[in-house]
Amino acid sequence: MTLLRPVAARAWRAAVSEAIERRGERFGGAWATRDGGWRAVMLAGDEAVVLCCDAEDGRVDSIVDIAAAALWDEREAHDLHGLGFIGHDPLRPLIEHTAELERWVTPVSGEGVHQVAVGPIHAGVIESGHFRFHVVGERILALDTRLFHKHRGLERAAEGLAPDDALKHAGRACAACAVANTVAYAQAVEDATGLWPSADLRRQRTVLLELERLYNHLHDIGAICAGVGFAPGSMAFAALKDRAQELNAQAFGHRFLFGTVAIGGIPVALDPPAAGALRGALRELRADALAGWRDLTFAASMQARLDGVGVLELEDALRMGVVGPAARASGVPLDARVGNRRLVYGGLRPASPPAATGDVAARLRIRALELEATCDMLDELLSLPLARDGASPGRERSPVGVGRVESPRGETVCTVELVAARVARMHLRSASYANWPAVARATAGNLLPDFPLINKSFELCYACADR
Amino acid sequence: MFVLLRQLGEIRRRARLGRGSGTRWLGVRHVDAGSCNGCEHELGLVTSPLHDLQRFGLDIVASPRHADILLITGPVTTRMAGPLRTAYDAMPTPRLVAALGDCALGRNVLGERTELIGSVERLLPVDIRIVGCPPTPREIAEQLLDALAELGP
Ligand code: SF4
Repeated sequence: MTLLRPVAARAWRAAVSEAIERRGERFGGAWATRDGGWRAVMLAGDEAVVLCCDAEDGRVDSIVDIAAAALWDEREAHDLHGLGFIGHDPLRPLIEHTAELERWVTPVSGEGVHQVAVGPIHAGVIESGHFRFHVVGERILALDTRLFHKHRGLERAAEGLAPDDALKHAGRACAACAVANTVAYAQAVEDATGLWPSADLRRQRTVLLELERLYNHLHDIGAICAGVGFAPGSMAFAALKDRAQELNAQAFGHRFLFGTVAIGGIPVALDPPAAGALRGALRELRADALAGWRDLTFAASMQARLDGVGVLELEDALRMGVVGPAARASGVPLDARVGNRRLVYGGLRPASPPAATGDVAARLRIRALELEATCDMLDELLSLPLARDGASPGRERSPVGVGRVESPRGETVCTVELVAARVARMHLRSASYANWPAVARATAGNLLPDFPLINKSFELCYACADR
Repeated sequence: MFVLLRQLGEIRRRARLGRGSGTRWLGVRHVDAGSCNGCEHELGLVTSPLHDLQRFGLDIVASPRHADILLITGPVTTRMAGPLRTAYDAMPTPRLVAALGDCALGRNVLGERTELIGSVERLLPVDIRIVGCPPTPREIAEQLLDALAELGP
């Protein structure tokens, strides 16, 4: 059960800093409500505490100097819910796109400094988003990202719905993270309604999450190859990804595993022959993926392009609350799978690359390591068939539930507030949302033509962040 | 990259697309107008050597000025309506508009919302409709080629 800790607006900063400094908790996202409420979820191990307060005259103290990870959350709450943040100055628009240029870009000046604007439409099959580079010659001094071109109001649309009906809102936030987002949402509702997943349900969801990680990591390795123009690598890994997705379709009826997650139960099953077939096919895929990876490690022309590019320093990764493979590649031993009792990850340790250099090379290597671990996990999980099973009631209920899942891109936190069995507020803070500011950080100081490579090494979703 | 060669044969057999056509060449410009990224993932695979859309005389081009077909995904968010229109206006004529995926065709899960235009049709004349959520790479290739065969450009 998630604890709710009401705080007076005046004591907001003190409460957050006490949570972080005294209790060692981690900021996991903040969201505003329609009636002027302001919440932050603090994470410690497998536990979550939600701090809540009512803004006074529509304003509350900013916490960005205590928790830098709250930067986008505060900007979003200002744009969507009209909250003001005392001390957050300048409070730049994030989702609001009508503001004039000077209000949302970082002021960068000096001899020869100019801006290069890219997007929202890009030259390829890429999601829409706008990047504004401040450059001198080819050197990038700073980057302002302006996303939310794809803002569909998913969270707002979920308000007032029955929890089951809002599941699809979490699911369609992003195809590539559909399982992670829906499992996080389902866990949040189960947390709020006092449900606990059965052993079978935990194993089912773990299998689905790892299958999602598998095709995403294959995709991401291919994307980095594409980022340096190494066609054999990008094509081989695109083919491997296609194969992994075909296995998803054969086993569960959908290449992106849409429709495989439900609240308090699971709509799919695998009988012994199907589980065995999937396990066998995954073994073959594992062998081919590792062979492909070995080929990549010997492609010297490619490897030479990755070292020292787009470095995200450990200190920055920690300060900015970066999650997932990107954090681990910088040396942060954080993985939301560890100790997650609503899933089956006993004994898992966060992967760490041989050298946590925080550059593109490290972000590539960490995925290869995790790919292998995921295949091994799946092999074990699929040694038994997957039965349909549900969750048992009887745990304590809570007005707000929290779900946490390690998506292919990192920790995704979903929070749900229920009032009279309806969704009063659903907040989905995906790993992409958490990590986008780090892309800009890692880009500064690099060359403009390296940006696509750096961007692909994070391979964040725009859809997940924009919602 | 021996892995690729081994997979290629299998995937091509599975895709069962024809051998490619004669002399036509059309440029396709993709615009994401608020998708969940599923349609993009699948479209990305259509143009990789696996399905190799290029052998049918279709290729993704970097600029709408080089494009004959505007291929649009997503329910068209209000924020993307402007850029989408700009891309369309930049195209030479004659031009075609293809709506890719159920969202673009006006069947997104959210229904009518103020954040959304709701479908491509409400903004631009649609010539080609590719259904699915998302359509698989093979379905995209097939539906696109069938529609072009009918339109006969
Ligand atoms: S049609 Fe389906 S896959 Fe395509 S953008 Fe819409 S929800 Fe995503």
